[in-house]
Amino acid sequence: MNDRKRSTLADLTLAALTIVGAALLLIGASALPAPRFEPLGSAALPRILAGLLILFALIVAARALRGDRTKVAETAPADGPKPDPRRGALVLAALIAYVFALDVLRVPFLVATPVFVVATGLSMGARTWTNLAAFAALGLALAFGISLVLERLLYVRIG
Amino acid sequence: MIDAFVLLFAWENLFFLVIGTALGIVVGAIPGLTASMLIALTLPLTFHMDPVAAVTLLIGEYVGGISGGLIMAILLRMPGTPSSIVTTFDGYPMAQNGFAERALALGIMASVVGGIISWSFLAGMSPSLARFALQFGPWEYFTLVLMALVMLAVLSQGSMIKGLLGATLGMAFALPGIDSSIGQARLTFGSDALLAGFGLLPVLIGAFAISQILRDAATPQTLDRMELPKRRLPIYRSDLKYGFNLLRGSVIGTWIGLLPGIGGNIAALVSYSTEKQISRDPDAFGTGHEPGVIAAESANNASIGGALIPLITMGIPGSVTEAILIGALTIHNLQPGPLLFQNAPEVAYGIIAAYLVANILMLIMMWGAVRYIAQIVRLPRSGLMAVILVFCVTGSYAVNSSFVDVWVMVAFGVIGLGLEYCRVPLGPFVIGFVLSPIAEEQLRASLMMSDGNALEVFSRPYALLFLALALATLAWPSIAARMGKRSGQSKGAP
Repeated sequence: MNDRKRSTLADLTLAALTIVGAALLLIGASALPAPRFEPLGSAALPRILAGLLILFALIVAARALRGDRTKVAETAPADGPKPDPRRGALVLAALIAYVFALDVLRVPFLVATPVFVVATGLSMGARTWTNLAAFAALGLALAFGISLVLERLLYVRIG
Repeated sequence: MIDAFVLLFAWENLFFLVIGTALGIVVGAIPGLTASMLIALTLPLTFHMDPVAAVTLLIGEYVGGISGGLIMAILLRMPGTPSSIVTTFDGYPMAQNGFAERALALGIMASVVGGIISWSFLAGMSPSLARFALQFGPWEYFTLVLMALVMLAVLSQGSMIKGLLGATLGMAFALPGIDSSIGQARLTFGSDALLAGFGLLPVLIGAFAISQILRDAATPQTLDRMELPKRRLPIYRSDLKYGFNLLRGSVIGTWIGLLPGIGGNIAALVSYSTEKQISRDPDAFGTGHEPGVIAAESANNASIGGALIPLITMGIPGSVTEAILIGALTIHNLQPGPLLFQNAPEVAYGIIAAYLVANILMLIMMWGAVRYIAQIVRLPRSGLMAVILVFCVTGSYAVNSSFVDVWVMVAFGVIGLGLEYCRVPLGPFVIGFVLSPIAEEQLRASLMMSDGNALEVFSRPYALLFLALALATLAWPSIAARMGKRSGQSKGAP
């Protein structure tokens, strides 16, 4: 898929998701009571914003289908290494797993954090034994440091 | 004002200002990390701090973050912050020609002078502007917020429609929660977790820090050959000849900073273009010309002072960083705006005093340690990103000791990434989120005052002016395009 097609698809997806969001606003607003004490009421802003979102989404979709491109889209990609979306996806997966471990599985912060730092560090950097040891040490020091600050200074307990 | 300086020099406040400025310089020097990200991450730490200490820390980070960007812009052609992009035009060629120290010296001096000149505007204009803004009623505030949002959305880079879409989406995300005027849940769809709405901090950290890390993680970094400074930074008596260049860049930066949505990068670009246009030697720009570095750095630093003026006098954020600063003030139960000078003068004047002292601290730190700061880029980025992610999680959690906030942060990280992929600017999105409750509250109050008569706005001159400016901003891109077309046709005509 070339850049132009990818951009069109992205714009159409954006427009579709925006319209879904606007529909949610309208559904939510329909359940709100009519104004009693003041002229505007609770449902007015959601309805106004939903209307604007639908309008902007339709314009974005129409422009995408017509093939309009802003100057920004026309610029050539910058020189340099090509992005690898898989690495970003790996980091996101590690982040979700980390929060899940802390929130749902109740894994102690001092255990989950070094594992997360190692996983994230290795998914972004070179996968060597030296890096593994360095990230593990970094994660451990960070976990101890943060839990100390949170518990002793801010009286917040995490994990 | 003198009291504010006295308070600022209390050891605790000065300590936080030093720490904030140092942290800002370091983070600003690292490409990919920005002042707004740093401020969002340290915001949870300020909960338990005195409001003056909190704002001094954040102002230090802001000034340091913008200034630190010049180091890598000059040494590596890799701007640490977007504000330093224009510095690369002449700073990097100077470094490549063996004048890295000279480029750094001029950049640092220009940053400080820019900061001090814009401070004089900030200190001189803010109290009187705040007194003037006390005349404003709900209609004026509503139209002012509307104008700021429209300007921000239209003047953001890229498509105007996408800027407006981003601002509207941001406003929509601020709606769920308890509607304070009727005390009833709104758009929560039966979820208890949504009763408190989306927290400002998780949204900010998610939209900026998380989305940026996810984007950076996908982009492997390569480093060009870096010319490290070896000698002392040279500055000469003859540099006084750059006085007018400094003044011009600083004034341009301050006034551009005043406008919502136009950040330090545009201020630097306008200043650079102006300098080039009036120069006797325009062809020298881009080849390592000293006035080029001065124009860019004086303007981008001066834009901070300019942007702080509408923030503390009217509570209107000019950029994402100011939106986070508003968040910091509201966390401490302080409402930025004209009443800040009456209700918490130590904070209002503290911001002004901290801005000046942060600039001087930045000069001392960067002058003395630029060689060592430049080494930061050699730190493994993967480790740094992992550490920042842990700070994001703990920072979001610490707000309410709730993992709901952490999940909100992750979700907004993904939303931010998606919006950027679709070229929807994040600035209007976040500022729409911040300003939505203010806009709604003021509109409701306005309509209540005028018995539901929206036409009342036409009887309020300032409100009408703000509305007219908003409409003119909306119409400007198409007017400019038509004018461009016409002038193109007249040039092409025989």
